[in-house]
Amino acid sequence: MNRVVVTGLGPVSSIGIGVSAFTDGLRTGRSGISPISSFDASGFPHRNAGEVPDFQPERLLRRIDAARWGRSSQFAAAAARLALTDSGLDPAAVEADRVGAVVGTTSGESVVVEAVTAQQVEGGFDQMDPDLLGQITAGRLAHAVNTELELTGESLTLATACSASNYAIGYAYDMLATGEADVMFAGGADSVCRWAHAGFYRLGALTADACSPFDRDRSGILTGEGGAILMLENLDQARDRGARIYAEVLGYGLNCDANHPVAPDRTSIAECMRMAHRNASIKPEDVDYISAHGTGTPANDSVEAHAILDVFGDRVPPVSSIKSMIGHTMGAASGFGAIAGTLAIAHGFLPPTINWSNPDPALDRLDPVPNTARTAAVRVVQNNGFAFGGNNAIVLIGAVE
Amino acid sequence: MTQTDPRMAELRDIVAEVLELESEELTETGDFVADYEADSLRAIEILARIDKKFKIEIPQSELPQLNNLKAVYDAVVRHSAGGA
Amino acid sequence: MTGVVVTGWSAVGPAGVGRAALADRLAGAQVAVPTTDGRTVLAEPAPATPVEVTTLVDEPLPTLTGHARVDFDVRAHLGRKGTSFYDRATALAVVACGDALRDAQADVNDTNRARLGVVLGTSLGSFRSTSGYTRDTLVQEKPYQVNPVLFPNTVMNCAAGQAAIRYGLRGVNATVATGPLAFLDALRYGSNAITCGYVDAMLVGAVEEFSPHRAWVTSLTGRPGQQVPTGEAATVFLLARTVRPDWTGPYPEAEILALTTAYGPGGGAAADRALTGCVRRAVRRAGVDPIEITAVLTGETEPDDTDEYVPACAALGHQPTRLRVSRLFGRCDAATGGLALATFLAAAPAEAAPTLTLLTARSPDGGTAAAIVRGWFGAGASGR
Repeated sequence: MNRVVVTGLGPVSSIGIGVSAFTDGLRTGRSGISPISSFDASGFPHRNAGEVPDFQPERLLRRIDAARWGRSSQFAAAAARLALTDSGLDPAAVEADRVGAVVGTTSGESVVVEAVTAQQVEGGFDQMDPDLLGQITAGRLAHAVNTELELTGESLTLATACSASNYAIGYAYDMLATGEADVMFAGGADSVCRWAHAGFYRLGALTADACSPFDRDRSGILTGEGGAILMLENLDQARDRGARIYAEVLGYGLNCDANHPVAPDRTSIAECMRMAHRNASIKPEDVDYISAHGTGTPANDSVEAHAILDVFGDRVPPVSSIKSMIGHTMGAASGFGAIAGTLAIAHGFLPPTINWSNPDPALDRLDPVPNTARTAAVRVVQNNGFAFGGNNAIVLIGAVE
Repeated sequence: MTQTDPRMAELRDIVAEVLELESEELTETGDFVADYEADSLRAIEILARIDKKFKIEIPQSELPQLNNLKAVYDAVVRHSAGGA
Repeated sequence: MTGVVVTGWSAVGPAGVGRAALADRLAGAQVAVPTTDGRTVLAEPAPATPVEVTTLVDEPLPTLTGHARVDFDVRAHLGRKGTSFYDRATALAVVACGDALRDAQADVNDTNRARLGVVLGTSLGSFRSTSGYTRDTLVQEKPYQVNPVLFPNTVMNCAAGQAAIRYGLRGVNATVATGPLAFLDALRYGSNAITCGYVDAMLVGAVEEFSPHRAWVTSLTGRPGQQVPTGEAATVFLLARTVRPDWTGPYPEAEILALTTAYGPGGGAAADRALTGCVRRAVRRAGVDPIEITAVLTGETEPDDTDEYVPACAALGHQPTRLRVSRLFGRCDAATGGLALATFLAAAPAEAAPTLTLLTARSPDGGTAAAIVRGWFGAGASGR
């Protein structure tokens, strides 16, 4: 089995595009939340989201024509381009058919689906634009990465909802560990859309202005968007080419609640953590920081925190949620979590949970790294991702020993 | 009286459909969660259908109390009293 | 060699529910042909006539016919409880998962449910569900007057998640969304989960529902003058290691010998090369003589499409029989590859000798995939 390391990071987020801007955003506890501009939100009581208004695909993309691809594909391709640049890898130095992409998503090309639906509502089904229908499939998210970077290996889109990036990182890890591939671009992408905003509002899970995970008075998520891609390669190759190695992917765990389509399950999540620890050959006490799923809903944060307490006992590492800063970026969420965890290891700091005011007495043993980033030696990070469908996925990332 | 109010029968149909029951399976005091495997999604949808059918907005904050058909009926009566 | 076998399967679609229904349909279409030397070979069927589908939908349709199972009723298979808010894709897939477990004679219980997972392929989930949800935000009095119970249907992993809930499957649960490649990608994902030891067995499948939304996509994006009827299906296969726990089923009936994928950026000639490379690698990994591959089941849909067959033959060095399942079942997008494997397995009589087949898939942007399968270990309908 090859060891697998992270050598390139590509965040396209509401708190910064590119690794240095994103790192700065995490360190300063920046909020990426703004009034929604990508759709007419005037009829909704809540009108804020973590959009990426500064995203100008044509400035980042070199090969693909943005006009031919939906917004989520653009996010994925741009994030992958940034990760490749960050890695310093010369693409000519690797065999292109041993390089691939795995992209996770919740809603795929939701903006395109909504555009053709608007046409359908206005003029009938036959008024849907065939060019837009050609952009509608979710498989294009990974295909956009392969096309942009001219990769001739794997091109896989995983649609396991809000833990999809962790699934993607896990699958890429397997491909590299087993020698199926030499380099993999893995992560996720999603776009802010009406239907998710409406659905979460209807569930009573959408907050108004600020997402405050683990706070006593937390009242829900804010939807977000972006692209989060990590470049992974095997350790020997990275050393041979003199790459800057951020961290190592130690392993991952997946399981399924098989219980409820929406409500998280404490026992199942705890079991997923134990499984991830086993697969990564670590013990709970090795974990220095948990990058939480931490959506900011009363239910998620309570279930997640109690599962953590179940597994970690009286030695609970700091647990923070970057969703407080960037909102819930759906299929990209655990990709951003993995990037944040990688940066925590590389730079020795804990990203904060912002908007935090009051401790939750029910979670009194939890340290959410309130409001301000903290300097800390971080050797092992646990990155949580949970999803509708009971799709739990947890990735362990560690300093390279 | 609940027996004669036609809204009771209509509410029974709404709740039964959302909880995937035959109307006659649903009793006035059967607990939605314990007896009929309801969840919060279904409870919210029951309120939404009541809003559409009767134009009565019952706040989601009352959901924890609305645990059986009788409680839902009482809430409908309570919230329609002011507007009727 | 992947070391993974199929111990049971199901197809739910135009032919009905289960392998026997599909075998009947294929017998009628004369897909399997006995040779003079006592073997059975596959033959390409004549295009099947689609059925009237107007009773399925209230919305206008581009054509009145399609390859759908018009009388499919999820309640007849699973009852009312838990199924009333399924979308059609979820209903087809969940029924197929249960039937595949039954077909394999799998014994799923509390001692093994954490070792059994599901991976399903799709194009974009239920386009009808997501578009319908968006539609409600546009046409209702207030944009948030959407049905919360239907919200999970707008997420692409709905079918796999509901299958897990219905049958208590707590292992790896995944959804791959690569459209025409989705079934072969699901096979790769499922095989990897098994060979890496994350689970002992996986239900691997793909699903596509008939809906006005998909019918209009077929109509508006198809090549002019080459309209192919819109189809629907869910196919699911139970996969386990060759050396496997008893509970995964007693009879292997097919062995997945090789699974490969490659991308040709921009499609066209680059994708031709990618697919030829895929097939070449698959042959090498399977350790077979390409001449033994007597049939190629492609995902080609339109009548003059040879985008898979020609690059595949370039790698094989000969021209085996081509079989396009779209001729029998219409345009099935993500479900196409699963229908191809089901067709291969269901076509042969129970006594047929083992044979090798190649499955191929290709997406418009340049994605390609190939699989080599050895099948027919007493596979026919009468064997179960």
